[in-house]
Amino acid sequence: MDLFLQQVLNGLTLGSIYGLVALGLTLVYGILHVPNFAHGALYMVGAYVSYVTMVDFGVNYWLAMIAAAGVVALLAVLCERLVFNPLRHAPPIHDKIAAIGIMLFLEALVQMHWGAEFRRMPTPYTEILNVAGMTIPAQRVLIIIGAFSLMAVLHLFLKKTMTGSTIVAMAQNREGAFLVGIDANRVAMMTFAISGGLAAVGATLFAPINLVYPAMGHLLIMKAFVIIILGGMGSIPGAIVGGLIIGFAEAFGGFYISTDYKDIIAFALLVVILSIKPTGLFTKGVR
Amino acid sequence: MSNGKFKRFCRLACASAIALAATGAQAAETVTIGFTGPLSGGAALYGQNTLEGLQMAAKEINDKGGFQVDGETYEINLVSLDDKYSPSQAAVNGKRLVQQYDAPVIFTPHSGGTFALQAFNERSGFLVMSYTSVPTVTEKGNDLTVRIPPTFTGYMKPFTKIAMAENGKKVAVANATHDYAKYWTKAFVPTWEAMGGTVVANNPMDYNKSADFYTGVSKVLAEDPDVLFIGGASEPTALVAKQARELGFKGGFVIMDQAKMGEMSKIIGGYDMLEGSVGVVPLTLYEEQGAKDFVAKYHKLNDGKDPTTEVAYNYFALYSVVQAMKEAGTVEDAKAIRAAIGEALKNLAPENNPYGVTEIDAKGGMMADPNIATVKDGKVVLQRISEVLGE
Repeated sequence: MDLFLQQVLNGLTLGSIYGLVALGLTLVYGILHVPNFAHGALYMVGAYVSYVTMVDFGVNYWLAMIAAAGVVALLAVLCERLVFNPLRHAPPIHDKIAAIGIMLFLEALVQMHWGAEFRRMPTPYTEILNVAGMTIPAQRVLIIIGAFSLMAVLHLFLKKTMTGSTIVAMAQNREGAFLVGIDANRVAMMTFAISGGLAAVGATLFAPINLVYPAMGHLLIMKAFVIIILGGMGSIPGAIVGGLIIGFAEAFGGFYISTDYKDIIAFALLVVILSIKPTGLFTKGVR
Repeated sequence: MSNGKFKRFCRLACASAIALAATGAQAAETVTIGFTGPLSGGAALYGQNTLEGLQMAAKEINDKGGFQVDGETYEINLVSLDDKYSPSQAAVNGKRLVQQYDAPVIFTPHSGGTFALQAFNERSGFLVMSYTSVPTVTEKGNDLTVRIPPTFTGYMKPFTKIAMAENGKKVAVANATHDYAKYWTKAFVPTWEAMGGTVVANNPMDYNKSADFYTGVSKVLAEDPDVLFIGGASEPTALVAKQARELGFKGGFVIMDQAKMGEMSKIIGGYDMLEGSVGVVPLTLYEEQGAKDFVAKYHKLNDGKDPTTEVAYNYFALYSVVQAMKEAGTVEDAKAIRAAIGEALKNLAPENNPYGVTEIDAKGGMMADPNIATVKDGKVVLQRISEVLGE
């Protein structure tokens, strides 16, 4: 039984981080209508910013997280202003190429400055709780609580505030949003800022139980793509539920079947779900 | 080509010919040492590290004015070509190095490249210096091949012996899934069983593609092993060890030689979590004088950066080739150079031989007796393989 609960915990940890990263991706998809391949690179930059503020400047963990969120949000806005906004009338393929370009640029930049080696991010929460035969490191609890409260805040923001509603309106119907006088530039910048901030917070939460290196975004971004396809492109509940599905599939599949096959299990699930619901689980989002 | 362009081309060609002639006149003689390895792509860092060792040795030798063979002074001209880790490209590079540059010796840091060069090295008369621990490169009986590092199979018995004595006889396999890890598992499991142990779980994990190892590690720990066999790149391996401890594992680790304990301790903050483990350590922890001298020299040249195993072995390998040329009295006859390597190893200066290699077997494998490390009471204890097995 405790082994089962341990897997529930593992699934929750993975699922909440996957969900958080996928959320940012799905939000930007609502605006750009192309997947932002550079999202994983933003996640990676977020981890490096927290690492540097914490290790080189000796700043507290939470302040480092805020700093990372700020820097990456700014970086995401810059990407929108300098790259995606000028391309808004271009065919979608240009956006995709530009996104890949940003990803390669950021990775090369980080690797040039900090090298390709692995780094370990410190965390003040190193206790390990033992509850009913389960091992629960404090950082993992923090990941789950942090990710879910952030999702809740984002949900409230999008549903209950006027600014949030403009994002939803843009995602649902671009022309309609223009007709009621929503400023497309402002919404686009805001969406990019939120998605960058989410990526940086996700990275700061997750990096202490993992490693920091220039290619760290690849793994997560691949999962995040699967998740938003699974959940329905542009759908917010889809990203959260999709994240949890993939997280649990990896934890349980890896434990009860084989760790070697856990990715196969996740992708097989994707095939099954898409063959039943070809547009993803939650199709109310965009298109 | 237009007339103007052609003239410019001629002028350029003349200039470079003169430049070449000028350099030729300055140095008495040069001997070309070839290198083919991955200098771009995913394995670029590895390739660069191996080349760095050769460059360091070549520079030292040339800065001292070269070396004497049969009364003539020679300088080393190191020609490196990129093969992107591809055997077919290595073969093309090999042909170029022999035909265009007339290289009597070619270094390559991968088994695929070695096999490709072995297809024609005896016919074309050049010596292959292979930096790979895959045993088959020398077992095929190629007369002009030298394997520089020891084979990984040499670690099986001492690792098993120590791990069993320290922890117990039940092992769970939780190493990585790449080819090298699979070769290791294939050799390790039979050794463990032959020495009276049992394998209670076998669950390799993709160290590079897993966001988290909790699931995989808790799966093997459910079988209650005494020893966990882990290993991949040092850093993820350290995470696997840490997560196993968090999940309540009390036994020891057998750490595959790809991971270095020194690197792992940086990730997990010391050796406490590795209590009862056996593995390999980087050269910087060796206590032999030759190793210390080499590390000090490397630190001085590189702002205190630690030398990698690749740098150290390839540095040593070029020195041993040069020494063999001196012993053989030729820089051209690959057979004579190969035959003289055994003698050369005995006469190498310790600072040029950081691993203290003194012998080469009949098939061309260098016989190093590397240190292996055990963690006892939070401290690293070093022993030579021969000491462990001789007990």
